[in-house]
Amino acid sequence: MSMNARDVGKKDAPFEREPARRVFAAELRECRYQFKEGEEEKSPTFVLLPTGERSNRIYLVGTLTEKQRQGDQNLFYRGRVVDPTGTFFVMAGSYQPEAMQQIAKIETPAFVAVVGKPSVYQKDPASTPMVSVRIESINIVDKETRDLWVLDTAARTLDRIDAHAKGEGKDIEKAKEQYPTLDPAVFKKMAYEALAQIRI
Amino acid sequence: MDYSETAQRISRKFSQKNQTVDVLKIEGKLRRLVDEFGVLPSEAERSVTNELLKEFNLPVVTSGSGSSPGGATEQKKIADAIPGDWVTFEARVVSLSTPVSTSIAQSGILADESGAIRFVVWTKASAPAMTEGLWYRIESAVVDEYKGIPSLKVHSGTTIKEMGTADPLIPVPAQIKDLHTGVGSVRAKVVQEWDVTHERMLQQGLLADETGTIKFVLWKEPGKERLEVGSVYSIFYALVDEYNSRLSLNLSTATLMQEEGDMPTISGGDVAIRGAIVHIAPGSGIIKRCPVEGCNRALSRQNYCPIHEIQPNFVYDLRIKGWLDDGEKTHNILLQREVVESLTKIPLDAAVQIAENNPLGMDEVFLRMRDTLLGRYVICRGREIDNRLLVNSCERLAFESGEHAALLNRAGGVS
Repeated sequence: MSMNARDVGKKDAPFEREPARRVFAAELRECRYQFKEGEEEKSPTFVLLPTGERSNRIYLVGTLTEKQRQGDQNLFYRGRVVDPTGTFFVMAGSYQPEAMQQIAKIETPAFVAVVGKPSVYQKDPASTPMVSVRIESINIVDKETRDLWVLDTAARTLDRIDAHAKGEGKDIEKAKEQYPTLDPAVFKKMAYEALAQIRI
Repeated sequence: MDYSETAQRISRKFSQKNQTVDVLKIEGKLRRLVDEFGVLPSEAERSVTNELLKEFNLPVVTSGSGSSPGGATEQKKIADAIPGDWVTFEARVVSLSTPVSTSIAQSGILADESGAIRFVVWTKASAPAMTEGLWYRIESAVVDEYKGIPSLKVHSGTTIKEMGTADPLIPVPAQIKDLHTGVGSVRAKVVQEWDVTHERMLQQGLLADETGTIKFVLWKEPGKERLEVGSVYSIFYALVDEYNSRLSLNLSTATLMQEEGDMPTISGGDVAIRGAIVHIAPGSGIIKRCPVEGCNRALSRQNYCPIHEIQPNFVYDLRIKGWLDDGEKTHNILLQREVVESLTKIPLDAAVQIAENNPLGMDEVFLRMRDTLLGRYVICRGREIDNRLLVNSCERLAFESGEHAALLNRAGGVS
């Protein structure tokens, strides 16, 4: 049964913003499956993380190593943000004017915090699917914020792996079905390596 | 078919309400309905009764039991009354309030041992004025609903008799979590006081007991005094209203008794949330507020207050509205001036300097604050009300090597 957005009065469902998930680049890169909840045009789209959680938004901190201005009529920026496990591909188009102004100002390399929406796309049917993050906001931060993010993201990833093992969570079955060859133990090792890169 | 019996019955009903009706005319109407229009006799009785009720400006019974057209009245306890009932109560007038319209002679609250209900006496009812504190027998009044809240209507068919008893009637306070719309009594502590949002408002804030919290409002009226924050009060017969599916207490009708000592209140209202600030909303930074006493609304860029119009002598203030995200849930946060100053290290006077001397004006303060806070980890402590966290204190998180070591152990353990 789908809920019509117009029927959902303030009374029944106060607006809930989709939480920003914490995920390392190496896990996000493995995402292949995305789905929409509800029939409405504005219904949120989710990317299913291999550890078994849906994600409409992510929060990530890493080093912006490259940025590129592209397009003439439809100007947009692409960038690469690197964390201890890999690379996030981020982009900001003319539909995100604020994000575009923010990324335009930043000189690489810099530690950045990004809030954005992940999506899976394929250049053509033959190529490997890619995951990119459409930026809602990007901001220069310090190294301590990066380190805090690595701790936070490691903890959240380990929580998801535990939930996956116990089968607790509404999307775990879907994840097992969609990613039958992925062993969550891989992501535990990834989390350990990310943590080990922080020097005290 | 003989209609005289039915006509007599209708006539009696109206003579009870001090109205005289023409029995022959009623008989004629009944005959016409049944014989000419094929209406069932019971339905005919009902429709003639309703027509007469309308004629005498008496409340019409809309939905009914069918078997008792015209509305039988029952002696009831207040707690058992439901909208649509014709009732007889023996109750005490526990509060009188100033009528909001000239068509209302008296309004207030009636109570018995079972509960309390709002009441309205129509001016047209020409009923004797009731006195606060006395008991009355009120016969044949109607319970209806106003904004979803039951209310007793005294109309011209109602009889009111003073009973001469002087039972003091002390209400049993309910717990906050058990309150429902209507009339309620609680024993609670004033835990917060908020800015008033209307010029007629004397005070608003938050009350708490062991089971929950509820917003309260006190309107400016002669004899009303503000409640003291941190004090415990017994509140008898307050109006419980609902707005946006949240309950609130209107203390206009209530009897308030300040009590000695303290009481435990719910701790669940206080929360601490660790997370990242993922959005700073427009309207954050430096703002201008309306200087009219008790207003304090945020003004538009053109110094326009929705109530008091253009206010060139505005007052500057700082605030931040945004979203704090812990990875599981996103919390709407509101930071007041002191919290903003300590978190951003931009005091109000410095923000005023920036706003007045920079080409971007107030936007410059917003941008500086956004760049300092967006994407940062913080811990916010405060109270969550109406899905918004009112932040009392907020600090940047610091890296803890203990946490790092614990996570390394957890991730390095055998899977």
